[in-house]
Amino acid sequence: MAEDSLLSDELLRHLMAVGQVDVLVGVPTLNNASTIGGVVRAVQQAFATYFPRDRAVLINSDGGSTDGTPGLVKDYSLDEAGTVTVSHSLRTMHRISSPYHGLPGKGNALRQILAAADLTQARAVAVLDADVASVTPDWIAALIRPVRDQQFDYVAPVYTRHPLDGPLVTHLVRPLIRAAYGWQVREPLAAEFGCSSRFVTHCLEQDVWESDLARYGIDLWVTGAALAGGFRCCQAPLGARVTASAVDRPGFQDVFQQVVGSAFLVLEPHAPYWLPRMGSEPLPIVGPPFPSEVCEAPKVDGSRLTQTFCRDLENLQSVLGDILSPETLSRLKATAETDCTQLRFADDLWARTVYEFLAAFHRGVMRRDHVTQALIPLYLGRTGSFLIQFAAADPADVEAALEALGLEFERSKPALVEGWNQAIPR
Amino acid sequence: MAQMIAEAVSQAGRNFVESLASFLPRVATTISIIAVGWLIAILLRTIVRFVLGWLRLNAAAERLGVAPLLRNAELPPADAMVAAIVFWLVWIGFLLSGIDVLGFTALQGLLSGFAAFVPRLLVALVILVIGFVAANFAWRATLLAAVNAHVPSPRVLSGAVRWLILILAGAMALEQVAVARTVVLTAFAIAFGAIMLAVAIAFGLGGRNIAKRILEHQFPEREPSGADEMSHL
Repeated sequence: MAEDSLLSDELLRHLMAVGQVDVLVGVPTLNNASTIGGVVRAVQQAFATYFPRDRAVLINSDGGSTDGTPGLVKDYSLDEAGTVTVSHSLRTMHRISSPYHGLPGKGNALRQILAAADLTQARAVAVLDADVASVTPDWIAALIRPVRDQQFDYVAPVYTRHPLDGPLVTHLVRPLIRAAYGWQVREPLAAEFGCSSRFVTHCLEQDVWESDLARYGIDLWVTGAALAGGFRCCQAPLGARVTASAVDRPGFQDVFQQVVGSAFLVLEPHAPYWLPRMGSEPLPIVGPPFPSEVCEAPKVDGSRLTQTFCRDLENLQSVLGDILSPETLSRLKATAETDCTQLRFADDLWARTVYEFLAAFHRGVMRRDHVTQALIPLYLGRTGSFLIQFAAADPADVEAALEALGLEFERSKPALVEGWNQAIPR
Repeated sequence: MAQMIAEAVSQAGRNFVESLASFLPRVATTISIIAVGWLIAILLRTIVRFVLGWLRLNAAAERLGVAPLLRNAELPPADAMVAAIVFWLVWIGFLLSGIDVLGFTALQGLLSGFAAFVPRLLVALVILVIGFVAANFAWRATLLAAVNAHVPSPRVLSGAVRWLILILAGAMALEQVAVARTVVLTAFAIAFGAIMLAVAIAFGLGGRNIAKRILEHQFPEREPSGADEMSHL
């Protein structure tokens, strides 16, 4: 679709006034008044500090905020220290805030940002999450520089975090993406990324923007599109990621269904790319490492999660029987019959479980949201088991265990390919 | 006298031969109709199965949860079931047409009765299929939602939902084919009322303590899983 049909007249007018740019930073927003100031400040300072000779623009694509977020972006004035920094900039730095049209969700906001980048022929683009309170000018530099200076097409962030943190990423999405696409991406779900104009054009040409995937899983789709599209990809360390307080955030179940549903959906259009691939390669890490910060391990009682798993597995057996193979189901039952407070959910069993769920999701053995819902208790069992096992372990040992899990996903991939290609009953 | 008897026997014989002469072609027609009907029914069964296979009915049946129910009941797959129903309906239609040709007074009207029954039977079958699908969907949705929301006894809850829908669909189907309509309606009303009354009595008056103990056993307190206490991303 042509950019001008994606952009409102007002935004088009602003962009034409700005003209061609070198660096574009996009920030999708929806009621982010508490954090947007810090993000705009970081962007402005990054423009002045790291890209003083570049033509730069900040585009805010707003989904209809009712807390005055767009006004804060437009009217944001730098404090004294900021003004000093900005005075070193050799070019005018533009700031545009515009509502996006169409379906609500991040997908349309991102589409508008990418369309604006395409129209202004931006050489390097960075997209930030307005909900993050820890954005610094270094983040923008880390995402833009590999594209501008080293001709990378896609830059994924690497956050500093405790390896026990974010188990949905570390135990499910990360090893799944690694084994499927054959690339080791630390944060495949990251909302921040940097990209080239070539990748922007590729994304805009894809038939994803009107789908549920664009609404709920666009971050993961972007990662998948970069890996499957044969683009030059790298990772950039950003440091710790601190988000604003989670008052209006969806609960665990909604998050789980959106993330897992998106991860399973993303793999479908890219199947010709990933089905024949075996093994994996690390994505290069570009840029200075951030000073190591002490990240606290999550304080959750793993045995409560495993007890939930043991109880729910019994309740869900009739549903799981339609999704899992008899061998996997009997191994899960055997696992649940042990002492639930000391449960051990083996890596190979977890990899097989995820793969069989993915194959069932693909073959449509039942409604897809039922498939993802049925995975929740098993995920809690796996997470709880890992927390019990590594609660007091050294972070390096935890990292080693996560690496072993990634390798297990790779080793088990033939089972996924077999399940994926299994004929739908005629 | 002997001549008269011979004449009567001869007349009876002529009558029998005439009757046979007029009846045999009808028998032949009946046999032909039944045979041709059988061939047409087989042909239709094959065509229906092919078309349903092409439309991936079995895959849809898997998705909708009908296929596991058929398997559990040791019935053939969905496409074979539909094809078999078509076969029997068509062949029974031809069979009754053939019998009608014989002209037996006692059997006349069967065809018109069957013709009037077929649409009702088809509607009843559709109601049953929709009922099965709806019951299975509601059962799975209830079970998953109850398990993940840590509602006590999710299997009891989801099973109750499934059986309620199945019983309702069964009663509607039987009412449609008018099989003992009054009995079905009355039985359904009595059974439904009895369940509600039993629940009310259990909760209210007699055996309050027993009901309490049973409910405590059946619906134990469940602690939250702790899943919401950590960041999963």
